[in-house]
This record gives sequence, C-alpha cells and structure tokens, in this order.
Amino acid sequence: MYQARCAECHGPEAEGVMGPNLTRLWIDGATDDRVFQTVRSGIPGSVMPSSSMPDNELWALVSFLKSLGAVPPWDEHAGDAEAGGEIFAANCAGCHQAGGKGGRLGPDLARISSRNSRDAVIQSIRDPALSVEPGFRSVLLVTADGHRIRGAIKSEDAFSIQIMDTNQRLQGYLKRDLQEVRREDSSLMPAFGPDRLSEAELDHLLRYLATL
Amino acid sequence: MARSLVRCLSFGAVAALVSGAAPLAGQYDRPPPNTGPGIPDDSGFLDTFVTYDHLRAGFSDPGRWLTFSGDYSGKRHSPLTQITPDNVHRLVPVWTFQTGTMTRGRGFETTPLLLDGVLYVTGSNNFAWAVDARTGRPFWQYQRELPDDLGYGRSAPVNRGFGILGDRLFMVTLDADLLALDRRTGAVIWEIDLADHRLGYAATLAPLVVDGKVIVGISGGEYPTRGFIDAYDPETGERIWRWYTIPDPGQPGSETWPDDPEISLKGGGGTWMTGSYDPELNLIYWGTGNPNPDYFGESRPGDNLYTASLVAIDVDTGTLRWHYQFTPHDLHDWDSNHVPVLAEVEIDGAMRRVVMVANRNGFFYVLDRETGELLLGKPYTDTTWAREIGPDGRPIVLNEDGSLGCLPDNWGGTNFNPPSYDPALATFFVNARETCAIFVPEEPEIEEGRTAMGGVVWIDQDQGYGALRAIDVRSGEIQWEFRYTSPTMAGVMSTAAGLVFAGDHEGNFMAFDSRTGRNLWYYQTGSPIWGAAAMTYMLDGRQYVIIPSGTTLLAFALMPEGDG
Repeated sequence: MYQARCAECHGPEAEGVMGPNLTRLWIDGATDDRVFQTVRSGIPGSVMPSSSMPDNELWALVSFLKSLGAVPPWDEHAGDAEAGGEIFAANCAGCHQAGGKGGRLGPDLARISSRNSRDAVIQSIRDPALSVEPGFRSVLLVTADGHRIRGAIKSEDAFSIQIMDTNQRLQGYLKRDLQEVRREDSSLMPAFGPDRLSEAELDHLLRYLATL
Repeated sequence: MARSLVRCLSFGAVAALVSGAAPLAGQYDRPPPNTGPGIPDDSGFLDTFVTYDHLRAGFSDPGRWLTFSGDYSGKRHSPLTQITPDNVHRLVPVWTFQTGTMTRGRGFETTPLLLDGVLYVTGSNNFAWAVDARTGRPFWQYQRELPDDLGYGRSAPVNRGFGILGDRLFMVTLDADLLALDRRTGAVIWEIDLADHRLGYAATLAPLVVDGKVIVGISGGEYPTRGFIDAYDPETGERIWRWYTIPDPGQPGSETWPDDPEISLKGGGGTWMTGSYDPELNLIYWGTGNPNPDYFGESRPGDNLYTASLVAIDVDTGTLRWHYQFTPHDLHDWDSNHVPVLAEVEIDGAMRRVVMVANRNGFFYVLDRETGELLLGKPYTDTTWAREIGPDGRPIVLNEDGSLGCLPDNWGGTNFNPPSYDPALATFFVNARETCAIFVPEEPEIEEGRTAMGGVVWIDQDQGYGALRAIDVRSGEIQWEFRYTSPTMAGVMSTAAGLVFAGDHEGNFMAFDSRTGRNLWYYQTGSPIWGAAAMTYMLDGRQYVIIPSGTTLLAFALMPEGDG
C-alpha cells in the first residue's frame, strides 16, 4: 500500500524524495492520530493529497510508517554521562548541536538514541565515512583562482552547487566558475578511532548522547 | 511586564530539507569555531552576524536587503542603477524558484531578505526557505505543521517575510505564534504564542527588528478580536511590551467606544502590516485595521479609536506618542494597514519630517511624523465617500453606504501592497484600485472564533480598473498614471535609476519610467502578482530584481550585451 500510494513522493524507503522523510515522524513528536489525520486530510496548499481509503487500511499504513523508524533501545552500558559531556564539548560541539549549543556543520544530535541504534552511532564515530546522511556529504570545490573550499552539499544541479562550508556559511557557486568539484568519499567528520577515543571514553560519550 | 509562554522545543516543525534536525532550545551566541577537519578556507566569503547597525544602514550595502521594506523608512527605493530606463528592455528571467505551495484565495505576498548571497524567503502555509541568490537553488526548507482549527489563518494562509538579527530569522505563523529560526539550518530555536488562534487570531506580517526588539502585529479583524503591537526579546522570546489598539475602559480613547468591554475589547484593530521606524525619534509608525463588526456600526457608536489609524509608538516603552485616524467609525473594512513611508519633504519652504500613507479610503496623506499634524490630505482615487479633509482633520463624508455614487469597495483604493517613494522626484508611487461598491450592513451574531463581518458588499465588476499612479507629495496632484484592466493588489518598488517596478492582477511584472510613467518592459508571470512588491540587489556585479508570483519566486537581470 505504501509503495503504491506514497513511495513516488516519499521514496521507496520513506526517506524522502519530493515529500519529506517519513522514518522519523514519531521521533520528532508525531502521534498516531496526527499521522492518520495528515494522510486523511492531506496538507492544504501543498501537493500532499487527501485520501479516502477506508479507516482500517489507513491505520495499517500508520502502523507501517511507525515500524520504519523503530530503533532498538540502547542497552545500559558502563560510562559516565558527565564525563561524556566534556568529551562531547571538546571534540564534537564544533560541528554538532546538542542541548541547544554547538555547530551546524553536522547533523543535530537531539534524540539520537531514538533515531539510531547504539551500534550505528558507534560506527558513525569510529568510521564516519561508511555512512553519511544526505545533506552532509562532503565536497571539495576549487575556484578559478585556486581557492579550495570544503563543505557539505545542500543542493546541486548540472550548473550550480550549494554548500555549507567548514566555517558553517551557506554558499552557492556556479560550476562554470569552479576549476573542480570533487565529491569526497570521506566524511567531513574525522574518524575517532581507538587512538583518539578509547573504549572507556566512547562509553562515556555514548552515555551522554543517550541523554539528549 | 507580561511573560509569554516560551516554547523552546517544537514538535510542530518539520525537519529541514536535507537533515533530520529536530528543533532545539537555542542560545543566542555565535557558534563555536569549527574544530573539525578540512582544508583552511581562505575564500574570503562574507559571513555576517547581523547587528542593529547593519539594519539601520539600510541600502548602504547593495548586497543586502535586511528588512521588509529594504530600510526602516518604508520607501522601498533602491539606490541601484545598473538597470536603467535605457537598458531595462534587456531584462530577462534568470531563475525561478518553485515553492510547491499554493495560496488559496490570496497570493505569494512575501519580500525576501538577502544576506551574503542567500535569500531568506517565507511563503504561504508557513513554508520558508533559504535560497541561493545566484541560482534560486535551495539550501533548506522549513514547513510548519499547522493545527486543523485555524481561524483567520485558514482564509488567508499567507506570510510576508522574515526579520533578521544575528544568526536568527524571525517569522510569525498562521496559528499566531512567533518563531526564531537558525538561519543556517532553518531549525526552530524558540517559539512563543502571540494569541489564541482558535479565537480567530493569526499572524502574517514580516517582523520589524530594531535595537534589541522584534516587533510584530496581529491579524484577525474579521473576528471579534483585539489588535495589538508587541515587542519581543530576540534572544529569549520574552515579551518586552504590548500596546493594544483598543484602549482599556477608562483609558484615553476608550470614550470613543460603548461602555461595554464585551463590545470594545473585541472591536478589531489588527496590526498586520509591517510598520516603519525613525531611529532618531525612536518611534515606530504602524497602521491599524478595521473595527469589528466590519460593516455594522450601530453596536459600536463613536470613532472607535485607534482603529483605521496611523499610530506613532515609542519603541522603548511601547506607549502611544500620537495618532491620526483616517476613517473614524469605519463601516467599509478600510483597514489602514499600509507601509508608512518616512521622508523629508519641503512644504511651504521648510523641510519637514513626514510620514506618508495612501489609504484604503482613497485619500493620500502627509503628516508631520514628530507630532502627527496633518499637512496634506487629498483623494488619489475617484472616491465619492469624501472629497476633502476638513479643518479638524476629519473627512467630510458625503456618501456613507454607496447609495450616492461609487465607493471604493472593501479592498479599498489601495491595500497593504507596498507603495514606493522617490525622494529625488518627491513622487509617491502607488497601485490604485478604482472600484464601485454598495455596502449593506446587517447586525451579526458575535461569537468567539467566528467571523462577524456585519453585512455584505455589492461590487460592480464592470466598473473596476487599476492604475499605477505617481503623486507629487507636495501638492497631492497625480503626475501620471498607467492603467491596468482590473484592480490590482500588487506592490511597487522604485530605483534611483529612475525606474518603477510594479505588478498587476493579470500577472504582468512591469518597469516604468519614473518621470513619465511610460512602460519600458514587462514580463508575464502567469499568476496575479498579489500583495508583493519587488526587491533588488547586487551580486557578483549583477543587479537582480526579484518578484514573487503565484507559486514561484522569479529573478530577473540584464542579458549581457551581445548575448542571445
């Protein structure tokens, strides 16, 4: 039902195409009733149509959407949240927001433990290049006069590219004014291997992230 | 000082375009220096933390447009001269941004802000975007999840723009909230309630940011509501002051209402159009809306202060310095929610600091903006409602209900669509509406949360037309006009090059010679240009002109010579 009615706009994995990402609705505070009503009524003034499907089918769709964002709960591990907060402030806050402070170059980490499994977050810390969210993929631009600008791609077409650079500035560029647009396999986030973040420190950091 | 409910975590905001970011409590400071990796960036690009001084500087930086009217004066008169009467025929569309959202019953009324090559745009249904000013490509999108029980916001799901300060954007919403957004990501930093939307309140205007304050007004005059102007702390969202357009019983002005607060304190007076600001006098100038019920006046005898007025408010204290009421005891829904235009004009051999308004009632006014003294009041339309202002500053009303000739309809001789003023020519440009209406009042049932128009308006569609008019502000005489085939709600912008840009209801976006009114260029946008006026900026050595129309934001610039 989802594939037939919703995937064209919201993507086969519900991660968003023309329509928004549907995998985090409940994490972001939606309720079953609210989602039901949105599908039933559509969104006025947008391309999201209303639906006349029977209630039981619509509730089945709601259940399906709810299952998409389900994340295994983070088990209790050793680690001190306060120490983790200090580690976060020293290493992560330059790029990530948490508790209302921090940078914007990386994703906002509010409710990270509801959105990602503990193992997935560990992987993101140890080897961030393995999986980079859309909107944060790294690019290197070289301008006609040789300036090198690194940043996260926000939007791109055949003729232009829009990024947030590593100074967190939104900048748009015409490709004809660039010598090179180099998409990077790496992430803007450095890898925090065991040499940079010990297992104990990682536990502290994860304990802190679980409080967000 | 009242405390507003400040919500720092919003579950109503939809994630930004490209991240799963959820809105957070914000702290008003610069982000910490990036400690991440990367090649040091020596691109030299701008990254402005907007201050009050930047706002006060207005048009001095051609790469900025930092407030609704471009500067605090409300003139919407750009100093840019790359596009001239001689070359405007080479103006071509250079990009189109599709909003993906439609406006039932109204239009795309916004004025984008421009900073460091990024346009910050609000749209209908409380969408908003950051857009690359070179290409029209998006950086992020914000979309508010709106409740099902909107009042006025359902019938007019519009928004007219952001305010900006620091790294923050300020936007009001159809459910009568004020938001602070992070301008780099579109994430909500804080949001507060302005009023209860279930009673009919909504908010649609572009906030006015002055030193240490975000100033907003409210919509809902078709409902039994009470209008106000608020000032908020940009860091915390805490309310600093509120000024009600209808005085409390016993306060000055309350004598112009019945004694019954059930009538007076639900008597309308919305404040839904961005005002102007004089930093030297420290006064904001703000228009106020119709009294409620709109067409039925028997329940509210008296002048109904301060509805249908221009008020001058002390920015520090939120107290009234002076007022001028354009339409005492209004019976026509002639809100005075216009952009007040501040200028220095020579009158009787002396330079006067004035505020000018082309009013919905069909009259053009010039007032001393320090004292409120009326200096000139003259019709700029063929209204039969009145033809002159008496020595007491009140209109001499000849035709109250339309039975003695054409009256401007309820949309008025002009509306909230911005005018423009060219100081070099001492000429005020306004899109005027010539209409013919009869008003039939009827006592309404007053119920909270339901409209109470109090009658109907019969409009003769065959007799309506529109016109761009140029008014000499020293005499009130019309210097020239360009006629449209129907009344228009489009706004006007002028430039120092001697151009006037205007739109019409048939979708044309046009350029005229400021001195003569000769049409020099036009482009068919495909949708009525409704409520919006153009803005313009320099970027990469090129002058862009931007106009919203329908579901799109359109950008124009000169085609280089020798191309195409």
